[in-house]
Amino acid sequence: MIDIDVKEMGTVTVVAPRGDVDMAVADDVRRRLTDLVDRGQPRLVLDLGLVMYIDSSGLGALVAAMKHARAAGGDIKVCALESDVRSLFEMTRLNKVLAVHATRQEAVAAWG
Amino acid sequence: MTSEADQLARMRSWLWTQLVGQALPLEECSAFLVAVGEICNNVIKHAYAGQGGRPISIALSAFPDRLIVDVEDEGAPYDPRGYRPPDLDTVPESGMGLFLVRRSVDEVAFDTARPQGTRWTLVKYRAKPAVPPTA
Repeated sequence: MIDIDVKEMGTVTVVAPRGDVDMAVADDVRRRLTDLVDRGQPRLVLDLGLVMYIDSSGLGALVAAMKHARAAGGDIKVCALESDVRSLFEMTRLNKVLAVHATRQEAVAAWG
Repeated sequence: MTSEADQLARMRSWLWTQLVGQALPLEECSAFLVAVGEICNNVIKHAYAGQGGRPISIALSAFPDRLIVDVEDEGAPYDPRGYRPPDLDTVPESGMGLFLVRRSVDEVAFDTARPQGTRWTLVKYRAKPAVPPTA
């Protein structure tokens, strides 16, 4: 299990996992995100500021959740990427697919 | 380690300590961690088909010009014929593991010519020290 902080900020839901997002917890992260979408909260901000390591399973979970959110008329905006996580986003070009913001405030504001 | 996903964090902690102890720059340590983590993921998922309690041994060898990590398992041998590089344009949800391995280290080799399992060998070369310009 991974500790995931969830906060509602107006019509946007901010999700902040705390710890490594690897194969052991990737399904948990995907499920938490898709459950929010299914409960009518498809406008998501994923704050990765406390994630120092993510693997391909974690990235796959984010992609799955992004597709789920978009199918429901929402999306996931990510923010606060640590340098190692940012490198993997760039390597997999996920930074071209998901909107990446420097801070949580910017990401929430980008929802308008 | 054994083949449970919840062993991965412990493996990374151990490997990080070993790599930092070899004076590898932190960025390179992180890249090695990604590569070894992805190999272990593949071993757990494919070589052992999700079965826990099976051995995965990891060994670091340090040389003046490079670091080598060997990852060995006793599961189903890796079959390279099954590998397809991911099409990043399609934003795949899986199949990125070996792609990340290849992007994170300088050399990747595997040996399946053994009684069982696969030995993966990951190599990262140390950066050459900068040579001051001569007059």
